[in-house]
Amino acid sequence: MEYVISDAPTIWRLLNGVLCVYKPAGVTVNSVRRTLLYKLSTELNELECRPPVKRVAIDGDTRQALTVTVSDSLADNPLVVGPRYRPDDFKCSWATFLGVNTSGVFVIGLNSGTKDAYRLHREHPLRTYKVKGRLGECTDNLFHTGKVVDKSTWRHVRRGAMEKLLANMQASHQKTMYQLCGVDLQSEAAYELASKGLVRPVESKLPLIYGIRCVEFEPPNFIIEVNCINEYESYLLALVHDIAVKLHTVATCVSVRCTRHSCFTLQHALLMKHWTLQSAIANIAQSKRMIRNVMKTNKNMGLNSHLHRLEGEAANSLP
Amino acid sequence: MSKFRVYCWGLAEHGALGLKGSKSSSTSFRYIPKPVRHSFAEEKKVVAVACGFGFTAFGVQALDRYKVFGNGINTDSQIGLHEPRKNHPLSLVLAPAPINLGLEYSDTSIVSMSAGRAHLAVVTDKEGVFTLGSNCYGQCGREIIENEKYNGSHYVHNITKLGNEKVTSVSCGQDHTLFLTASGKVFSCGWSADGQTGTDQLDNICEPTRIDGDIKGETIIKVTGKSDCNLALSSNGEVFGWGNNEYFQLDTESKEQQVNCPRRLMSLQGLGKIVDIASGGPVCMALNECGDVFVWGYGILGVGPRIEMSGKPLQIPPTLFGRNEFQPETRVISVSCGLTHFMAINNHHNLYSWGRNRAGCLGIGHTRDQYFPYKVALSAHALSVSCGMDHTMVICRPFS
Repeated sequence: MEYVISDAPTIWRLLNGVLCVYKPAGVTVNSVRRTLLYKLSTELNELECRPPVKRVAIDGDTRQALTVTVSDSLADNPLVVGPRYRPDDFKCSWATFLGVNTSGVFVIGLNSGTKDAYRLHREHPLRTYKVKGRLGECTDNLFHTGKVVDKSTWRHVRRGAMEKLLANMQASHQKTMYQLCGVDLQSEAAYELASKGLVRPVESKLPLIYGIRCVEFEPPNFIIEVNCINEYESYLLALVHDIAVKLHTVATCVSVRCTRHSCFTLQHALLMKHWTLQSAIANIAQSKRMIRNVMKTNKNMGLNSHLHRLEGEAANSLP
Repeated sequence: MSKFRVYCWGLAEHGALGLKGSKSSSTSFRYIPKPVRHSFAEEKKVVAVACGFGFTAFGVQALDRYKVFGNGINTDSQIGLHEPRKNHPLSLVLAPAPINLGLEYSDTSIVSMSAGRAHLAVVTDKEGVFTLGSNCYGQCGREIIENEKYNGSHYVHNITKLGNEKVTSVSCGQDHTLFLTASGKVFSCGWSADGQTGTDQLDNICEPTRIDGDIKGETIIKVTGKSDCNLALSSNGEVFGWGNNEYFQLDTESKEQQVNCPRRLMSLQGLGKIVDIASGGPVCMALNECGDVFVWGYGILGVGPRIEMSGKPLQIPPTLFGRNEFQPETRVISVSCGLTHFMAINNHHNLYSWGRNRAGCLGIGHTRDQYFPYKVALSAHALSVSCGMDHTMVICRPFS
């Protein structure tokens, strides 16, 4: 069923929740926030806004009957006080900061949704990036926009060597996870930790890679896919550089694209042309459902492993 | 670029990995605890691989008549006769060498392979089964010859048909062999001291004999057993077992040490339709159609260091095989095991391993035991895995 709502305050009340947008590269997150809020508030102003409050004037001679006139208050006229909805009226914050060169899935909390966004971030959501690199050149800022400071040969780099290196990196990060949690891999505690799902060292600010693989290799260009938590843009740029150095060459990063943030993927992300009220509201509703599902599966998985544990202990007491 | 790759790890001392290299490097490593890409699979199209006790056989797709290659321990000519100097047969082969099976046609292809303690069985699509290596208990399916000298023997036994049917698959235990025919019948031969041939007695059998018991009338689709405890899976998802029952893997009720006749595993009922099985001897493993893995027996089961023994199948939490809130549909698609180490592949083709880590056979970078499934850092999609006693080979497909 479709409803046409033309009342701005009703729409405003629907703008509470988590929104998933596509952030273009070369634009700061603040700029994305500004553009989005500007677009939303202009559209809100075009709808039926609240009329100006009434001004009640009681005039006349106090010794005789007074005249009461009710008219629109000029002090509340949009021409005097400005438009009803301004970008500043929105409460808006992002779940995870993305650097200026990063594009892709960008999760924003709107109004009361800022709390949800913060909570999402606190749970160390898994992010997936597709990082494109180019072998042979190294720049001062490790991104292709910088000044070339070094050049090197790259024809000796084979796909096999890169894959071997990435597999080793993944294995060493997997080991680090348990170390950061302070458990011995041979202990019962490690088993219990692992059976809860992804091992996430909570206090840590250290980037951790859960999976890294080369998805395209056409030298000098290559694309690697990284599943990680706690990462930041310069870490990913340095990662490309490190990989190249270990392969006895140099490389620069050409693009960084976030393809997944927690349960949000590229197909949920709104492109800039869709930053409209209608799409935003639909997106918020969808996000609400998705977040609820994720929480539910989280809970279920914890419960199952607990039940399983009890069963196991009972079985252990058998001969 | 080749479509298939082979990764290997584990004990390398006896050439079971078959990694070529300079003389200095081949002596410097005793074992390799993490996956190494095998150069042999870059030269040949490897379609099947079988790891035995210190030796490996590769089945390749080729136009000539050499379709099986082998390397590793060759004391009983289990990987054929390799005699660079006359009357001096090699008892260690360090790199894959062609095995002359005496194939008649060049378009015969390898269907399945399996390796035991000192024998090898190869199933072909046109020319039946070839068995080679030690026959001291009749595991090659031919008559036992007293004091037969296996080292330096070039004899390869060919079984064209069993019960007038083609053999589709074979599984070698320690010193016995199980054959599976096209219509789902099981034949066995070899050592039977624990009843592992399932022929209702405990004497060795040299002639492949049809086995009945509870599997009579069932269509068996898979037989497995790495040492002396065997499992069979029927087409309707039921599991049967015979052989060693010391840890009550097969029957918790009767407390018999040996089960010499196939018996239906009652403990697995109610766990859904079983689609894959693996048996390492003391520990058995089953996979149901939902992708849940169940383990039972004695040893490192994969459910933490505290639980060492269970007669009842225990589920390994699916989260340990990569299921999480972002990939709730992740499930295991195949399981396999060596004697004491276990492997599982999930639907994203990631490989997980756990168990005793002899000589780094788990491939997780060290030699300490692993008490729950741990992801192996493979840089390709795992398709099928073969576990030997202390080494492992995986056939993989590149990521893209």
